[in-house]
Amino acid sequence: MDVAQKAALLKQLHDAVVDMDEEKTPRLCQEALAAGIDAYTAIMEGLAAGMDTVGRFYEEKEYFVPELLLCSDAMYAGLEVLRPHVKVGEHAAAGKIIMGVVEGDIHDIGKTLVKTMFEAAGWEIHDLGKDVKLERFAETLRDTAADVVALSALMTTSMMAMPKAIDMLKAVSPDVIVLVGGAPLNAEIAERYGADGYAPDAIAAVETATRLVTKAA
Amino acid sequence: MHLKQDRMTSRERMNALFSGQVPDRVPLGAMSTGFNTRNAGHTVADAYKDPEKSFTAMQWTTEQYGWDPIPQYAGHTVLGAWDFGGKVRMPQGEYEGALVVTEYPVKTEQDVEKLVLPDPRTAGRIPEALRFARLQADNDLPVYFFSRSPFTMAANIAGIDRFLRWTMKRTELCEHLLRLSLDHIFNVLAIWVDTFGAHRVFAWMSSPTESNQLVSPRIVKKFALPYHIEYHRRLGELGVKRFGFHICGEQNLNLPLLAEACPWAHPSVLSFGHEVDLETAAQHFPRDIIFGNIEPAVIQTGTPETVYALCRAAIEKGRQAPGGFILGPGCGLPVAAPPVNVYAMTRAVHDFGWYV
Repeated sequence: MDVAQKAALLKQLHDAVVDMDEEKTPRLCQEALAAGIDAYTAIMEGLAAGMDTVGRFYEEKEYFVPELLLCSDAMYAGLEVLRPHVKVGEHAAAGKIIMGVVEGDIHDIGKTLVKTMFEAAGWEIHDLGKDVKLERFAETLRDTAADVVALSALMTTSMMAMPKAIDMLKAVSPDVIVLVGGAPLNAEIAERYGADGYAPDAIAAVETATRLVTKAA
Repeated sequence: MHLKQDRMTSRERMNALFSGQVPDRVPLGAMSTGFNTRNAGHTVADAYKDPEKSFTAMQWTTEQYGWDPIPQYAGHTVLGAWDFGGKVRMPQGEYEGALVVTEYPVKTEQDVEKLVLPDPRTAGRIPEALRFARLQADNDLPVYFFSRSPFTMAANIAGIDRFLRWTMKRTELCEHLLRLSLDHIFNVLAIWVDTFGAHRVFAWMSSPTESNQLVSPRIVKKFALPYHIEYHRRLGELGVKRFGFHICGEQNLNLPLLAEACPWAHPSVLSFGHEVDLETAAQHFPRDIIFGNIEPAVIQTGTPETVYALCRAAIEKGRQAPGGFILGPGCGLPVAAPPVNVYAMTRAVHDFGWYV
């Protein structure tokens, strides 16, 4: 397969993610491997590129959460094929992030979408799930030395856990970047809580985390 | 507590609004549940599991802050996950303010076909809701019946991320869940009407899953709107005259759809979050009573001065609404709202809310 054909295959992979095709995406990933395309290249220039486009569609209000979920399913189906073939140690993760929905809250759809976008952006992710005891965030930070911790809450009651969680995280690592998000949050509340940043949606979360990590480096 | 210059009772105030007359002042609603029971020294869970404690706490808190009883409910009358066989637990700990679904009744596509309509007398917390409703009736208050919209209820039965995927890939499963949700709502509502009389029942609905933070107007039009239309046809057939709709969250993209369809009787109370400007709401729904829209997170985390200023601005906009206006939070009153911030809303009505 020549360079142009490989580029066309990567474009097809991108389109399969954007078209929410959970069957076609892994098939194209197999084709990419068979054609000698490096697995990491297929991830970044096929799957992740597709999710970049999906993110743009979301910001332009062409895509909403149902579309994002299905695009994410397609992406993960492709990752399942490609990941085992990525040469270990050859590509550094863009960053390391811990994420979870704080104690008292089970609403995790926002966090799920944030995870998808960080995955697409090449971050190493430690997803703690939902209703996460505050101590667990701190323990995981201690264990992983993550760059960023992302806390999510949908309720005015559960957001009250965030200041305490942030204090616990900063006690473990004063330099850790803490992002918060969820419907009742805004930038002003985030700042008052001691967070380093706030993101109104999954796409902004990656941009904000990347900017803050770069600034801190 | 009555405000010093009140010239109407709450009942007279609400009747004036519903008959298109100008009340003495802007009514003040609260959409409060757990805040009331905590205020009375009980737990948040008591709001949902103990109708008598919840009702008493609600009346004392209503008097304390000068609220009008619009709406007054102790949680939802009908619930998707719980009523259809899922597992739910009461809020516990310092960070939980509402019921928590621990297991959804639908986990696979095959589970949808196995669902049956719940017993309308015993499912979920219907018995507790009926006890609460009897207390309202006995105390000459409107008898509230609170459901989520069929779309939100259907999502609650299947789990929201599963349901939203099905809106794109398995639409027939969504339709089945929507049909079951609507029919269950009316099986229970029929009991309320039989027990209390249609003239006493005030139907209230919320639609958080229809928010554009989740779904497009296309999805709302395809799946939610037909069931809103049928809901109101059946509500009319039952003879229920009063309806309130909490249009929850960011729903600006849905407003033109809802305004064009407008399936509810007029006037109805339309409650909006801070995401929808009150002037925009009034322009779309000139025949209805606009309710809102003080941001709950600000009521919880802001200063009384900030809350007071927001209320003043809301009153100045809202009182221009041709269909009438009720000041209230943009969603449920936060359980942990500082009392002075809640009082700031009352003070704003006292200072700026008089019509004459």
